[in-house]
Amino acid sequence: MNSRNENHPLKCSNPIDVAILDDYWLNARTSPDEAAIEEHLFECDHCGERLREVIALAEGIRELAREGSLRMVVSDAFLERASAQGLRVRQYSAPRGGSVECTVTADDDLLIGRLAANLSGVTRVDLCVYDDTGIEKLRLPDIPIRSGASSVIYQESITFAKAAPTNKMIVRLVTFDEAGIELPLGEYTFNHTRSLPGPGAW
Amino acid sequence: MMMDIVLNYAELVRQVGAGDREAEAELCRRMGPRIRLYGLRHLRDAHAAEDLTQQVLITALEALRAGRLREPEKLASFVLGTCRMTVLGLHRSTQRKERLLEQFGADLPAAVESFIPRLDHDLLTRCVQSLKERERSIVVMTFYDEQTGADVASFLGVSEANVRVIRHRAIHQLRDCMGVSHEQ
Repeated sequence: MNSRNENHPLKCSNPIDVAILDDYWLNARTSPDEAAIEEHLFECDHCGERLREVIALAEGIRELAREGSLRMVVSDAFLERASAQGLRVRQYSAPRGGSVECTVTADDDLLIGRLAANLSGVTRVDLCVYDDTGIEKLRLPDIPIRSGASSVIYQESITFAKAAPTNKMIVRLVTFDEAGIELPLGEYTFNHTRSLPGPGAW
Repeated sequence: MMMDIVLNYAELVRQVGAGDREAEAELCRRMGPRIRLYGLRHLRDAHAAEDLTQQVLITALEALRAGRLREPEKLASFVLGTCRMTVLGLHRSTQRKERLLEQFGADLPAAVESFIPRLDHDLLTRCVQSLKERERSIVVMTFYDEQTGADVASFLGVSEANVRVIRHRAIHQLRDCMGVSHEQ
C-alpha cells in the first residue's frame, strides 16, 4: 500500500499562485475559477499544503484581532462583527480638544477611542500618542481614513491597557501641508483610571 | 505524473471494489485531508469540516464497494462532486449547526486541530504590528471580519482593486516576516 503514496506529489508541476489561494480562502474568486482551483486541490497535496499555510495565517490573524492587542484603526463594521461574536467592546468617544475619563476591566475584549475630527479634504493623517509630559510614545503614520469622515476609530491594545497604571494619555491627529509641515486636526486626552487589582505593570 | 495518478486511482478503486480494507484505508488517508480542506473553506467550521469528511468518505466507499464509479480514474472528481452535493445538502439543513454542537460540544476535533499548523503567536503579533497602518487594517478586517473587498474599499475610500493589491502586498510581507516560503 505504501507504494501508492507515490501518487502524492511533493512538488507540483503547475502550482497555484499563493495570492490565488488567499483569494480562494477569502471567497474572492469567480465560480469558474473556484471550481478549477478545487479540481486542482483534489489532485494535488502540494498545493493543499500551501492552502493549509494560508488558513493558518488567516486563523492566526483572526485570533490576534479577537485578543484586541493590536493598535490600529478599525471600522464600525469591524466593531459590529466583534460585538455580534460576543466580544465585549469598551468605547470612549472623545470630542476635539476634549478629555474623557476611562478605564478597562478584566472582562473587556476590545478598547476603542472614537476621535471626532473633520477629515474633509485630508489625504494623510498620522495618529500620535503622547504621555502626560508631552513625549511622543507612539506614532501610527498614514492611518487609513476616508476623506469626509467625521471620526477616526482607534483601537488601543487591551493587553497594554489592562497592564497600565492610572495615567494620562494624549492622542493627536495630525495632517501635513504641501511643504510637509505638521498641522493639528485634533487633540484628545484620555484620563485612565486603573480599576483592575494590583499596581500597573509599566 | 498524470498517467501514474490515473493508473493508481483505477487500481485503488478496483481493490476497494474487491473488498480490500487496506485499500479503503488508503483511500481515506489520501482523500480525507482534501475533503477536510474543502469543508473548512465552505463551512468555515472545524467541526462541520470533520463531519463532512466522514460523510463524504462513507458515501464514496459505499459507491466504490458497490462498483458504482464507472470511470475509476476520475476518483478525485467523484469525491469532489460528492463534497459539493453534501455541502449543498448541509446548507439546506437549518438544524445542522445545533446538532453538531450537541454532538461535539465546544472542543475542536483532534483531527482538525492538528490539520492546520499553529503559527508562533508572538512572532505573528510583531509581524502584524510591523505592517503599515493601512495594510494592517486591511489584513485584519479582511481575515477577522471576512469583509469583502468592496466593504473594505468603501471604508477606506479606495478602489477594490487597490484593496486587493494592498492585501496581497501585506500578506507577502507577513509571510516573509514569519519565515513562510513563497516558493511554488
